[in-house]
Amino acid sequence: MTKNTAPAASPRGGGLRDFLLRQDVVLLGIFAVMVVVFASINPRFLSLPAAANILQDFSPVVLMAIGQTFVIVSRGIDLSVGSTLGLSGVVMALAVRALNQAGVDPALTIVVGVLCAMATGAVVGLVNAFLINVANITPFIATLATLGAAAGVSLVLTRGVQVAGGPTAVIYVGNLRYLGVLTVPVIAVLVIMAIAWAFFGLTRFGRWTYAIGSNPFAARGAGIDVKRHLTKIYLLSGILSGLAGAFVYFRLGSGSPLSGRGGELSAVAACVIGGIGLFGGTGKISGTFIGALITTSVLSGLILIGVEPNWQQIVVAGLIAGAVGIQGLSSAARRGT
Amino acid sequence: MTEPLYAVRDIRKSYGSVVALNGVDFSVGAGEVVGLVGDNGAGKSTLVRILSGVNPPDSGEIILEGKPRHWRSPHDALEAGVETLYQDAGIAPDLTVAANVFLGREVLRKGLLGRLGFLDEKAMRDKARQELTRVGITVPSAGRPVSKLSGGQRQAVAIGRAVAWANKVILLDEPTNHLGAQQSIEVLNVIRQAKANGLGVVFISHTLPHVLEVTDRVTVLRLGEVVADRPTSDFSPDTLLKAITGLA
Ligand SMILES: Nc1ncnc2c1ncn2[C@@H]1O[C@H](COP(=O)(O)OP(=O)(O)OP(=O)(O)O)[C@@H](O)[C@H]1O
Ligand SMILES: [Mg+2]
Repeated sequence: MTKNTAPAASPRGGGLRDFLLRQDVVLLGIFAVMVVVFASINPRFLSLPAAANILQDFSPVVLMAIGQTFVIVSRGIDLSVGSTLGLSGVVMALAVRALNQAGVDPALTIVVGVLCAMATGAVVGLVNAFLINVANITPFIATLATLGAAAGVSLVLTRGVQVAGGPTAVIYVGNLRYLGVLTVPVIAVLVIMAIAWAFFGLTRFGRWTYAIGSNPFAARGAGIDVKRHLTKIYLLSGILSGLAGAFVYFRLGSGSPLSGRGGELSAVAACVIGGIGLFGGTGKISGTFIGALITTSVLSGLILIGVEPNWQQIVVAGLIAGAVGIQGLSSAARRGT
Repeated sequence: MTEPLYAVRDIRKSYGSVVALNGVDFSVGAGEVVGLVGDNGAGKSTLVRILSGVNPPDSGEIILEGKPRHWRSPHDALEAGVETLYQDAGIAPDLTVAANVFLGREVLRKGLLGRLGFLDEKAMRDKARQELTRVGITVPSAGRPVSKLSGGQRQAVAIGRAVAWANKVILLDEPTNHLGAQQSIEVLNVIRQAKANGLGVVFISHTLPHVLEVTDRVTVLRLGEVVADRPTSDFSPDTLLKAITGLA
């Protein structure tokens, strides 16, 4: 994983060769090749509506993947992001429907709904943090448990059916496209990505995240309150997944207990393809962004070139396996084995 | 005898059925270098982890400058001026040299960005380089990830970090590990420098000539108990070895 150390760790300068070998540059290259291949088979891949669709698919995935990046770099994993997305969308849908029926102003209804979604995500994040920090359960098992629990609560709350009944403004917020591609959630996601990038690479919060993932013992020895920091990270992951749930709700106009299924796969895939080291301490969030872009556009591309949708998960799984394989090879090469 | 700078009394610590420390008294004065020696598994690192706040003792007192202390975490001990070089894994390999030296004490930018937690990388790099040079440690570049340094250079960074921040007590658990002959001598000089600055230094090593050369007093641990605690001048290489092994 030579090319994906912490931002501060990246060598300065180094010329064209180093630049071309940077993980994010390599990924952009792969993305470009993909675009060319899909576009040559079906030119519609390059149309504005196709791009808009990809961005709409990309938004919830990249939100979950941003949280996942903090988690994985700190040497954890958050498997609950997908069901958190689903549960948050459901809670938002129920809140919005209730407020709408009570005749509350649509704008206020929507704002309260988004807050409900984020609060739902925050609760799941805090439960994860509690299980990991206080009950000393490994992140994998703790978040596997909340994955199941959140999915179950969604089904209980909805009795398994979709929850609609929001004001029509919801659909406009989610689907009205400015400049042909930008919906309100997409714009919000782009802003969040910029903030996350700065926060991860340039602040003490990001530095401590790398330090904990690189060597938790050293981090604690340096006076960092590791548990407190991890709590913030899982909380962040939960809130971002909650927001992703809100954005999916905006797009569909209803909350489904089934949305977000497999979201953990997409989020982890984006990180791994983006070069986030699974053993913690390495990787850049720009890689995650491109990883999320690659996974979501591969799916759109496959549909546009006529591949059956059922192949999607298999393709994503293949991408993960490929990326992990490459990570393994490059770290083995670095160790000289 | 004057009151010691940092002391522990009747420390007990068990890991399950293993009694790692069984009623240990230990102290270091200001401007004093105390050697802590003993065979593998004698309990030296366990004592260091108690002195540095990593682990609490099962029982016993911790006294810094005459006041009883209860460290809840290394953070508390660091705040109080007790700095530690850990025997194993004291450093984050994926971070740069400068980031390691400043870990937990990051310099933030001025103004609003600083309040948002933005780092002043340049200040940290410059100061890290200064501090490491001051203690006689040369590393290729403060901006390099530690994982790309040699074992000895990593150790040097860890020592530099501890020395740069210590203001009362410095605990060095086998600092000459991984170091070549020349760099080991430099570490001994760093210890003398710290002593001259009035710090209390605890020096753990299996290299007895180093211990005899640089310390004022030696405390010998055997199977979790103090079996000797005397001025260094009382020991010869031979008697020190006998004290450690317990063989006549
Ligand atoms: N985290 C732990 N869990 C269980 N037992 C431990 C732990 N740490 C130390 N011990 C035990 O406590 C005893 C003292 O270990 P310690 O590491 O303090 O020895 P040491 O004097 O530092 O040895 P060395 O010279 O090899 O570093 C040993 O018997 C060891 O097996
Ligand atoms: Mg030891």
